[in-house]
Amino acid sequence: MIKLENVTKVYKGDNVALRDATVDIGKGEFVFLVGASGSGKSTFIRLLNREEVPEHGTIYVAGKDIGALGSWKVPYLRRNIGYIFQDFKLLETKSVSENVAFALEVIGKPRHVVRKQVPAILELVGLSEKINSLPSELSGGEQQRVSIARAFVNRPLILLADEPTGNLDPQTSVGIMRLLDRINRTGTTVVMATHDRGIVDTMRRRVIELDRGVIVRDQARGVYE
Amino acid sequence: MAISPLYALRETGQNLWRNLLLSLATIITIGVSLWLFGGFFLFNYAVDNATARWEGGIEFVVWMDPEASPEQDGAILEAISTSPDIRDYTYVDQDQAYEEFKEIFADTPELVEVVSPDVMPPSYRVVPVDPDADVVEELASQFEGRPGVKTVVSANDTIRAIQKQADEISIVFFIGSIILLAAATLLILTNIVSAIRNRGREIEIMKVVGATNWFIRIPFMLEGIVQAVIGAVLAWGGLYVIDRKVISGLSDPDSLELMAGFEVSDSEFLSTSILVLGIAIAVSVIGSSVAVTRYLDN
Repeated sequence: MIKLENVTKVYKGDNVALRDATVDIGKGEFVFLVGASGSGKSTFIRLLNREEVPEHGTIYVAGKDIGALGSWKVPYLRRNIGYIFQDFKLLETKSVSENVAFALEVIGKPRHVVRKQVPAILELVGLSEKINSLPSELSGGEQQRVSIARAFVNRPLILLADEPTGNLDPQTSVGIMRLLDRINRTGTTVVMATHDRGIVDTMRRRVIELDRGVIVRDQARGVYE
Repeated sequence: MAISPLYALRETGQNLWRNLLLSLATIITIGVSLWLFGGFFLFNYAVDNATARWEGGIEFVVWMDPEASPEQDGAILEAISTSPDIRDYTYVDQDQAYEEFKEIFADTPELVEVVSPDVMPPSYRVVPVDPDADVVEELASQFEGRPGVKTVVSANDTIRAIQKQADEISIVFFIGSIILLAAATLLILTNIVSAIRNRGREIEIMKVVGATNWFIRIPFMLEGIVQAVIGAVLAWGGLYVIDRKVISGLSDPDSLELMAGFEVSDSEFLSTSILVLGIAIAVSVIGSSVAVTRYLDN
């Protein structure tokens, strides 16, 4: 599903964010990206979404070399990739259902599809009772569930999560991880950058550890360190 | 997937509403600049119409009697063509005079209908060597009262002064309108950049979930176009006032006889209005394209 071949990403000032990374992630896998701040986790995720372009190497997503995609094709790549942010990035003036519907409306989905899919995904994330609430009326955990619903409503092949529990307390984080696990069981590949040792150690999934841009460990059913 | 017109209109309306004061400033600036720009054209049309027969250095016109004999006509032609004080002349025959008449009175076909070429007086349009008013008067008077001559009309200092003043006023109008149009373009750009910044998070989410660049761009570009079209409509109102009140008022024979013919035809008004709308759309497309290209696509 995702393949990196000798990928190197360098930012201005010769700051190497990722160095010669080679990874193969299969369909339906759940992968944790771990490492200290600045180790290259976020860059890894941004490269998969083509928010960044590597200086060297090739990245394949669903069999396609995404570096060779014309810029006008990038939006169509992103429709197959859900993205979850640490700070949720919800639209404060829109209700829960409007936030989720927004993700479908802006890719031109017909109204009847939006009407059908939004309630279904909100039920999946456990927010059926809060469809008309504004983000400011929700707890952090509930806001992150909205963010997950928005990322998953289009049923993407891949879900990228950049520190999705970073702003949440441990108990709420467990709930979010259960939700991501449930989504993963539907066949969706999940790649999650995290600092949360407890979660990684509990879930025992594949762990890729980065240190100053270099992959230093790639372990099936791994732990944080 | 195509952008829904309803979505585009809703987003455009919201953008305009959120930046209401800046939108109003932009619309007013566009309106005033286009009003000046269109006013420049209307004024030029009116001056051209009023002074059409005095273009190209022509200082006086010898109108011949349509009934004049070939001998009488020949005598005048010889006097004009051999005079050392006359640099150039043009003979306008009856058919050409009729065409000119039709052009001037294009908006009053009932008048054109009752006139035929055989009643039109042929004329000599004369360019003297020395355009000094006294010299011209003296030269013109030599043809006054000669056999076959109906009348002699000369351009006097007042008409020359009008032409000169009109040129100067036109330049001021034109330069002023160009400066304001540049300001309007920058205001449209600023307005859209402000809208883009206000909606930073929405745009980020749109990009992440896979909205196409055009889907994101169109509401912003429409915003600029809507402002420009409203500005053009305001300018039309202003141009209507210039045409119907100022220009028509000046051409009213009761107020200023010298300004007779100082008017704008309906077709000239229409072409000016279309030009104003075209300029408005061009300005908005330039302003909004620069804004979305520089601030949205990176």
